[in-house]
Amino acid sequence: MNKLRFYAFHLMPYPYFPPAEEIQSSWVSLPNSHYDPHRGRVLYNEYIDQLVAAESYGYDGVGVNEHHANFYGTMPSPNIIAAMLVQRTKHIPIGVIGNAIPLHGNPLRVAEEIAMLDVISGGRIISGFVRGIGCEYFNNPVPPADSTERFAEAHDLIIKAWTDDGPFTWQGDHFYIPNVNIIPRPIQQPHPPIWIPGQGSLETLQFIARHRYTYMMVFSPLWFTKMAFDGLREECARLGYEADKNMFNACVPTYVAETDAQAHREAKAHLSWVFNTGLKIPDQFFFPPGYMSTKSFRNFMGQLMKGKVKPQAQLSYDELLADRYIIVGSPETVKNQLGEYVETVGAGGMIGAGSPFGPMPNWMVMKNMQMYAEEVIPEFREADGLPDYMRTAANSPRSHAELAARYGRPPEAARSRVTGGDQLIDHRLAHVAEVIDPTLDGREAERPASAG
Amino acid sequence: MSYIDVVDKVDVPKPPKYYTPPGFETVMGVPVAYRREGAGEATVLLHGAGFTRMWIPFYAMMAEQVDFIAPESPGFGETPLPGWLRSFDDLTILYDQLFDQLGLERIHLVGFSMGGWAAAEFAAFYPRRLKSLTLITPVGLRLPDEPGVDIFQLAPAELMDRLFKDKDVMMQWLPDPENFDEGIHLYSEFSAAARLMWAPRYNLALERRLKRLACPALVVGAEEDRLVPNAMSDKYAEVLPAARLVRLAGTGHEPLLERPQELARLITDFVQEAAK
Repeated sequence: MNKLRFYAFHLMPYPYFPPAEEIQSSWVSLPNSHYDPHRGRVLYNEYIDQLVAAESYGYDGVGVNEHHANFYGTMPSPNIIAAMLVQRTKHIPIGVIGNAIPLHGNPLRVAEEIAMLDVISGGRIISGFVRGIGCEYFNNPVPPADSTERFAEAHDLIIKAWTDDGPFTWQGDHFYIPNVNIIPRPIQQPHPPIWIPGQGSLETLQFIARHRYTYMMVFSPLWFTKMAFDGLREECARLGYEADKNMFNACVPTYVAETDAQAHREAKAHLSWVFNTGLKIPDQFFFPPGYMSTKSFRNFMGQLMKGKVKPQAQLSYDELLADRYIIVGSPETVKNQLGEYVETVGAGGMIGAGSPFGPMPNWMVMKNMQMYAEEVIPEFREADGLPDYMRTAANSPRSHAELAARYGRPPEAARSRVTGGDQLIDHRLAHVAEVIDPTLDGREAERPASAG
Repeated sequence: MSYIDVVDKVDVPKPPKYYTPPGFETVMGVPVAYRREGAGEATVLLHGAGFTRMWIPFYAMMAEQVDFIAPESPGFGETPLPGWLRSFDDLTILYDQLFDQLGLERIHLVGFSMGGWAAAEFAAFYPRRLKSLTLITPVGLRLPDEPGVDIFQLAPAELMDRLFKDKDVMMQWLPDPENFDEGIHLYSEFSAAARLMWAPRYNLALERRLKRLACPALVVGAEEDRLVPNAMSDKYAEVLPAARLVRLAGTGHEPLLERPQELARLITDFVQEAAK
């Protein structure tokens, strides 16, 4: 197993709007008249190309996520982007990290779409679930105060829909579904791996520990990520098991170039933009009333007051570097800092390492990804250089021949009675005239032994 | 948990001015805080989304003329928010039960802002319980052409600015920004408000249901209201069968704090008249 897995992550920002000083927020209130669909088209397609390239560069996976009514991450439906990635890649795992499940009127839509993606991709989908950040709720009739409960119930419903045989009835507090019977079912059994992105709240950590899911820390300083990871390890230990390192993913935008100075020159403006402009969000958007329980809100604001956590929009580039929100430098610097980071927090994966960020031009993104793949990733790989996913069998047969050899014929062949006929016709033979009409040519049709 | 300071319970802070300890009546398992003074016609006020825990001058002026009762809605002031309270329906039934327990039979009901919506809901379900209904800069009806300001999108300073026309009065009622616990409590009260009002910001059924209210109604708008369009009080006055519309000149959304005397006079006169 490799020392560390690398996931290329994209937010797909739309950066063509006034500078941070001139806007209240890049979320919720910034008018969508700033969005030019023609430029959006070019960006989307570049962004998709970048994620597709991650497979040939040798990353361990790619990731997309859901955000609404903002310019920082323009994927209100991450499953749509994932569908394109499924078609344009062959083997690489694709993470939808995640779908904001409390926001949807019917969570089964997510269960269905992820199952579709999992089936079409041959079992390559990582399914993340999030509540959505506070801003999301202004775009939605779901009261932020219901978010936590709806998250829990939507999660239970989706998992049951994937794992239990349908049809069954769902009688929840927030959702009632008379007939749950999702088709398709996912390939991965009992269900696709679940990742939970989070900000380190105790409730989230306990939830992950209970279900043995994978945790993904959102942008945070190293000390905070470590505290959350330690907390999760504690919760797992409390439940009597030792957490595997691959349960822990840190999220640290990383940029590599020929020298330290060159890396800073290239990355500084773009990485700063992610925090200072893309995450310019006033408190009242970030914490709509009820989004956090009063208790959690009090605890969080207490940390802010003590100066332990600073709003991301106010972090200087030097602070971002010093607190390891980001890692930037020559291959040597990046390898050393990553090694240290992973050692300190105990992570199995890095999200956003060597990934596209902010308004970074396409050529620079590709330069970073290639250099990252060639200079940094091998340091954390076994001698064969393979991502871990290439060392295990594919989750699903990759060809018709493999399917036929391993699974044989379907247990129920498609059969039906043709109008006027009295016997079941096997559709594989339905175009054979003698099968439909045995009297044809005045003699009994030859019936292959396998036909039902 | 070692990694973050966790408090298990968040105490309700007491405002420095006008705080009085409330009485409590346990209704459907919820200890409902209320303040009551005065004698005469039983007059209940349902508050707006803020300025709780206080016996403000307007209340004292009301209590000089009537038996004035000011309960604190679940999630506001010192009344905790139970998990089951999700809608104005739940609130309406809780108030009906509270009034029974307080020995109030027929009442004059006054609602301000969010409390105006709550009062309208109560009137729609229990019209025979009311001797009169007064709505002060209420919310709760749909104004198709004027959805109004989204209060949940306002920064605290902007909200205060929109609440008051008279900035001298506003300065007296600004929460102390250094008061951490008060800031947390306001978030908590807004959370309760959002549970009732996040979406939609109106109840279309009110337009039908209020038609059966027979008692006199008074709708008080404020000319300089920059939070809720004046069309809202116009529409309430239209919908309510026996309504009188008064629009206070030169005041904003908060006439309770900006014009206590004028408003108390207006309402108590109306209550005495309706009681005849």
